[in-house]
Amino acid sequence: MEEGAGEAPGLGRSAASKDFRFYHMDLYDSQDRLQIFPEESTRMRREGVQAEMTHEPMRGGVKVKAPRDLGEEVDELVHLYGLEDDHELGDEFIEENTPRIEVSEYPSYMMMGSEQRDWRPTGEAAQGEDLGFMGWGSAGQCQDLREAYRYSHGRASEEYECYVIPEEEDEEEAADVFCVTCKTPIRASEKDQDEHKQHEVTPLSKALESAKDEIHKNMYKLEKQIIEMENFASHLEEVFITVEENFGRQEQNFESHYNEILETLAQKYEEKIQALGEKKKEKLEALYGQLVNCGENLDTCKELMETIEEMCHEEKVDFIKDAVAMADRLGKFLKTKTDEEISAQPDFEDQTLDFSDVEELMGSINTIPAPSAPVINPQAPNSATGSSVRVCWSLYSDDTVESYQLSYRPVQDGSPGKEQTEVTMTIKETYCSVTNLLPNTQYEFWVTAQNRAGLSPTSERAVYMTAPCPPIIKSKEIRSCEEAALISWESGNLNPVDSYTVELTQAETPGASGVTESVVGIPTCECLVQLQPRQNYTIYVRALNVGGPSARSEPATVHTTGSYFSLDEHTCHPRLTVSEDGLTVVRSERRGPAKEPVPSDAQFTRCAAVMGNLIPVRGRHYWEVEVDECLDYTVGVAFEDVPRQEDLGANRLSWCMRHAFASSRHKYEFLHNKMTPDIRITVPPKKIGILLDYENAKLSFFNVDISQHLYTFSCQLHQFVHPCFSLEKPGCLKIYNGISMPKHVTFY
Amino acid sequence: MALKQVSSSKCFGGLQKVFEHDSVELKCKMKFAVYLPPKAETGKCPVLYWLSGLTCTEQNFISKSGYHQAASEHGLVVIAPDTSPRGCNIKGEEDSWDFGTGAGFYVDATEDLWKTNYRMYSYVTKELPQLVNDNFPVDPQRMSVFGHSMGGHGALICALKNPGKYKSVSAFAPLCNPVLCRWGKKAFTGYLGTDQSKWEAYDATYLVKSYPGPQLDILIDQGKEDEFLSDGQLLPDNFIAACTEKKIPVVFRLQEGYDHSYYFIATFIADHIRHHAKYLNA
Repeated sequence: MEEGAGEAPGLGRSAASKDFRFYHMDLYDSQDRLQIFPEESTRMRREGVQAEMTHEPMRGGVKVKAPRDLGEEVDELVHLYGLEDDHELGDEFIEENTPRIEVSEYPSYMMMGSEQRDWRPTGEAAQGEDLGFMGWGSAGQCQDLREAYRYSHGRASEEYECYVIPEEEDEEEAADVFCVTCKTPIRASEKDQDEHKQHEVTPLSKALESAKDEIHKNMYKLEKQIIEMENFASHLEEVFITVEENFGRQEQNFESHYNEILETLAQKYEEKIQALGEKKKEKLEALYGQLVNCGENLDTCKELMETIEEMCHEEKVDFIKDAVAMADRLGKFLKTKTDEEISAQPDFEDQTLDFSDVEELMGSINTIPAPSAPVINPQAPNSATGSSVRVCWSLYSDDTVESYQLSYRPVQDGSPGKEQTEVTMTIKETYCSVTNLLPNTQYEFWVTAQNRAGLSPTSERAVYMTAPCPPIIKSKEIRSCEEAALISWESGNLNPVDSYTVELTQAETPGASGVTESVVGIPTCECLVQLQPRQNYTIYVRALNVGGPSARSEPATVHTTGSYFSLDEHTCHPRLTVSEDGLTVVRSERRGPAKEPVPSDAQFTRCAAVMGNLIPVRGRHYWEVEVDECLDYTVGVAFEDVPRQEDLGANRLSWCMRHAFASSRHKYEFLHNKMTPDIRITVPPKKIGILLDYENAKLSFFNVDISQHLYTFSCQLHQFVHPCFSLEKPGCLKIYNGISMPKHVTFY
Repeated sequence: MALKQVSSSKCFGGLQKVFEHDSVELKCKMKFAVYLPPKAETGKCPVLYWLSGLTCTEQNFISKSGYHQAASEHGLVVIAPDTSPRGCNIKGEEDSWDFGTGAGFYVDATEDLWKTNYRMYSYVTKELPQLVNDNFPVDPQRMSVFGHSMGGHGALICALKNPGKYKSVSAFAPLCNPVLCRWGKKAFTGYLGTDQSKWEAYDATYLVKSYPGPQLDILIDQGKEDEFLSDGQLLPDNFIAACTEKKIPVVFRLQEGYDHSYYFIATFIADHIRHHAKYLNA
């Protein structure tokens, strides 16, 4: 066995087995995984457990040689039979298996390219059988074992077969159908024979396709998994770096803190030692002084004693003499109190060491510093609504922040005294949408950060502005023609806004794009927008300031069919009344001024006239006026600055058709600068069509009902003109506009 | 009815031609002018008949009025016939400029001397349109008529006597009421006899009073300095009064300073061509 690998039996087997890599391993079921034997099994096998194998078929010819470790043998048998299974599939695997079984007929080593293989049998069950066969060793039992192994390997064999499918053995007789049951390609001719007879078959191409699909699906899954794993890996990398950084920072933190503590302790030590030394010196000095003093006293006493003794030896007279003096001296001496109290205690006072500051320092290692002041961001464009702003700020990366205090108050616009209320709120994030604010108003925001160590200083103050209120379109004042519309609106805001945006959408027309176009940056409350002819548009206006755009205004509708205007009441003569819709002008029967005349530059004072506010767009404009056949009227156009105290047509600034009805005769004049051509019209028009053509510098009049051309002025229109109407007698004129130009009109 | 081309000249992209043919109605050779606009090369065009005034031939209009540009732009075929039969050797034919040759007055004569040849009404309303429809790219359904002076009278009566046949009519200084003017009286007496009731059938002012027909938009330009206006030959007021009464739409423009000449016509010819184009090209 291992001998095949060129090694002496019993030598270094364990090591050898460990080094081997059996590269065919993956072709087998996972249960065939190579395993390193525990050390004791290796040793047992060294004792001479050897198996040999021949190239000859071994089925039924297997014999177990005694004496052997049964467990070992069974183990190896299992492998042998496992190999047998494999042999049925392909003999080429023989050499790579190394059963340690001796076959009686072949006593010599016949292994080729064999190697030491340490196998564990197929999983737990086989291992259990392993034990069960201990000590048995009969061939029958081995047969049972073989069956068991086959059983456990059956599935693996089938799976193995799966891998073989793609190989086409014979090109000429290529398999053309696929047996679903057997999962194998077969030739159609085989279908009716042998084992595939009852089986479900599909065309090979179809099977191939589904197999490919399956593979692609799996590939897709794998790809996804790869991507996920890559993402995960990069995420891990990030985490890695973050952890590294964080720990590094913490290390620095610790280092500085511990250094601080050590410094503090050293300083304390110094202080204590110094204090202690001073105390010691003081005490010793005191004691030394006392000692000296005490010695002096002692000397004095001794001297007295000696003196007294000397006295005792003297004569009586001298003795008496000296004795009296001595007694005085002694009395005096004894009167002086000898200081026997020890001035300094040898033991020192109970000195408490104050470590509170150190403790605090120690404690601060684990706590965090109070954050520094956050940085409040300037307002981001388009981040505000009419009632809210989104405030953002940032912190320094080293700071730990538990929450922020965001405060704000409206910016006072130079009106002192009015104390504006301040609002403060606590926020976890570094942004906040502050709501319930007033539109188009500036607010001042500032923020502080806090954690358990305390509050940061306040940030700088930033001014944020809420978006404006939506404007209000003056629907009644919209004027339009086929190419454009003039939209005007009220701001809707008390404070000025930065600009306005007009949004227009073609509505409900077949072929309408549905796209919303915008005209931006309009500084005033009026905008002339270019449009496509004969479409319906829905128009919105937004107001803008630094905070962002307002909500849309209420929509207004514009039809670009014909030209649309209404009568301008500011120009209206006092005797005339303009209807609610601005399209009918009435002169009532009453005599005298109908209204209190309000002097106005715009108002007509002489002829009872009113002007329409035609859109200032060059091009062609057409409108119609319904008249009474017997009414005296004037219709035409005039420059905006036409003298209000003159009749229409009486100057160079107006061009008019005038009708006068007197004594059952109709008189038609086409007046400009007081002059008229001599024109007679046999059928009095009931509706007059007026075509203003800037390009061709013409103004034409038509009898609408009979498509009759009445007259055409050639007029140099160096500036914009407006329709004008006047009523010389009581009656009314009704204007029709927003209508397509009739065909007959296009000839003029 | 073979047509003989007399001339052909390119003009404003189209062709101004003159043809000669043997007229059945008039029993003589007749010339007429045809303007074919550029549009006629590719399709059928409406046709506008011009009736000239006293003494004119087909040449006056085509050489003096300057109508070509407008006709070219609007795509109108313009036909200008002669004003009377010529060379019929009728006694007195050439005696005066306002009767006989050059003064056919667009009537079908009934007097023996003239009735064979002087059938200008039938010629301009029947024979000539038929000839034109047969030989030129025109739309027979779209025709209009206009004219000057005697031709203006002709245009008005053609339109008024044939309701619906002409889409529109216009006139320059027309004889509006020939029954009451000297020219008219002379001509009608000569061609129609002395029975004045027969004259009314060729008088626009009388015809208007009984005009039943569809809407007709009449444009009339009249020079204010026209000697024949003050001479009482044209009498537009009578016609206007009749139209006002009958609610026949007329725009009558009395043009300050203009006389009876082709200068006057040339001034307003474009307005008239447009007037017709509006109906012919509607």
